[in-house]
Amino acid sequence: MHSQLLRVSDVSAGTEDKPILHDVSLAVGAGETHVLMGPNGAGKSTLGRVVMGDPTYQVTSGSIFFDDADVTNEAADKRSLAGIFLSYQAPVEVPGVPLYSYLRTITQKRPELKMTARKFRARVGEIADQLDMGSSFLTRELNVGFSGGEKKKIEMLQLLLLRPKLAILDETDSGLDVDALSVVSKGIEAYRQDCDGSLLIITHNTRILERLTVDRTHVMVQGRMVAEGPGSLIDDIDAHGFEQFERAGEDGGAA
Amino acid sequence: MAENSTVTLSRVNTPPAQTWNYLRANDITLEVPFVSRKGDVYFALPRLFESIECGMGQQVTEWIESQATDASYVEVRAGEKREEPIVVTGMDTGVMVRAGAEATVVVCVGGAKGSVGSLSASSAAGETGQGPSESANEANASATSKQLSTSAALVRIIAEHDARVHVLEFVAADDEVQHIESVGITADARAHVDARQYFLGAGTTAAGLTCSLNGSSARFDLTCRYLGREDERLDINHVVRMRGRNGRTNVTESGVLDGHARKALRATIDLVHGSSGSEGTELENVLILSDDVTNKTMPVILCDEDDVAGNHGATIGSVGPEQIRYLADRGLAEHEAEALYVRALFDESLIAAPTADVRAVLLERAKAVLGEDIANDLVEGLELDAVAHEED
Ligand SMILES: Nc1ncnc2c1ncn2[C@@H]1O[C@H](COP(=O)(O)OP(=O)(O)OP(=O)(O)O)[C@@H](O)[C@H]1O
Ligand SMILES: [Mg+2]
Repeated sequence: MHSQLLRVSDVSAGTEDKPILHDVSLAVGAGETHVLMGPNGAGKSTLGRVVMGDPTYQVTSGSIFFDDADVTNEAADKRSLAGIFLSYQAPVEVPGVPLYSYLRTITQKRPELKMTARKFRARVGEIADQLDMGSSFLTRELNVGFSGGEKKKIEMLQLLLLRPKLAILDETDSGLDVDALSVVSKGIEAYRQDCDGSLLIITHNTRILERLTVDRTHVMVQGRMVAEGPGSLIDDIDAHGFEQFERAGEDGGAA
Repeated sequence: MAENSTVTLSRVNTPPAQTWNYLRANDITLEVPFVSRKGDVYFALPRLFESIECGMGQQVTEWIESQATDASYVEVRAGEKREEPIVVTGMDTGVMVRAGAEATVVVCVGGAKGSVGSLSASSAAGETGQGPSESANEANASATSKQLSTSAALVRIIAEHDARVHVLEFVAADDEVQHIESVGITADARAHVDARQYFLGAGTTAAGLTCSLNGSSARFDLTCRYLGREDERLDINHVVRMRGRNGRTNVTESGVLDGHARKALRATIDLVHGSSGSEGTELENVLILSDDVTNKTMPVILCDEDDVAGNHGATIGSVGPEQIRYLADRGLAEHEAEALYVRALFDESLIAAPTADVRAVLLERAKAVLGEDIANDLVEGLELDAVAHEED
């Protein structure tokens, strides 16, 4: 068995006064596509943030390995450079920073992606075409005044530009109209093909998964992993909801 | 009085209401050159411009009028959409934008040798800080070797009803330069004025801008970006007089302070009696990179009307934690995020610059602050023309 790209082992984590994740384990192999599902408030976004290294949350026990290195105590920027990417449910506005300056800076930080300004511009142009983005956005301030759908596209643009080894997409599909959704799905597909990256997709909406082959499905309830299965588990959840797991979650909590 | 001497502009650039006296940042006192022009024939602006309130106050207006060899007057005809920007090249400029017309007014000061729109009233011994059209204006102040070179611009703009006016101010000069810039704007009914200020360098930048929304439903948007570093000094005064009904004002200032920079910013929105239905918002955001910085901010909303809304807020300290976290998630450590903010000031100014000449001035300053590679990056990537055209 080849080694896992991401290995979360028995992680408990939370804010200073509120435990949120309890003994969570999850592993994603190189090139695999995983889906994380669960009812609202289950802790899915928190898990994504903990893997990314958000200092809001403290890991009280367990470990996180990425690419065979223990990153449990690494800062987020180091994890990003190591190849973890977390797309935001609600991307942050950064006034005063043109998108060009931002994209260029985060790209030049990665030795494997260093290139001339002109090549960079051409590369961004290609990706923007793939995502139906037009060309005027580069001179606008990062995420400021962009619509919800445009912000998600900017996230996809960064995903394709940075070529991370693992992309955690947190509800990248929420709030999108049909056209934007298909653009985002195309982006995810392009990432799978061009970058051979691994995916951990957090979603409530199975539409976005139609074009993808899902290797594993994980189900989280009340901060615990309550089920794991093949891609077909998604259809099961689509048909029957989370109720079956919620009961299991309560049992687990009582045990 | 001696032919060439200096005078003191005492306590200028003041806000309408001098509260917060304990901060001792209500004004600035400047020593400036003075050349006697007795007997010179001087073409003054039409009288209409005399009544326009300018940001740095009457004392500065009078000093500039006394030093300018000439006044330039530009008029944009009613309904005309003027594409070519009006680039300010003299010390004393009046722009009349007639009803329904649209125009862009640009002031750009840079370098030590002077460039587009640079106006020099004095220069260091041996140095010439000439602007193309004002070289006759130079006066060697006293003969100390560390003498500042002073440049100054007075710009008065009348936006008639339904006019659309864009004002762009760029100050990107070397440390030896003391720059004084006073702007006054009046807007009639439904006129919409937006101003963008980029204060990116000069030993001293003293800048004041006053916009009076006289007509109803007039609108003013001001974005001010600044960088203060090393021993630079910034003194900024913003005043918006909201007189007409249903006016809208949005003032946003943001900048980065590093080294021993000293900054004082006074921002006043004055909701005058009769401005019912008006709304004014002011917001400042400053990123402080050094413990030796002096940062003073005085936001004031004056209100003499019931049916109005005025808001102001100031965020002092570092970039917001949300932004820092987002940038960290994409691979930038905190100091790299801060460096991005500094770079972004120049990049944004280059994007806003309307001509290659202005870009050339900004680029020169960007190179001195950021180094060649980063300075050139944006113009290369976006293929912007930043080569100054030769003066003939
Ligand atoms: N910073 C925080 N401070 C306090 N509570 C938090 C914080 N972050 C998350 N929580 C709480 O932890 C729980 C899990 O939240 P999380 O956002 O991870 O859920 P989720 O599974 O992503 O839900 P959704 O499907 O609605 O996005 C919630 O009860 C939430 O209120
Ligand atoms: Mg969530």
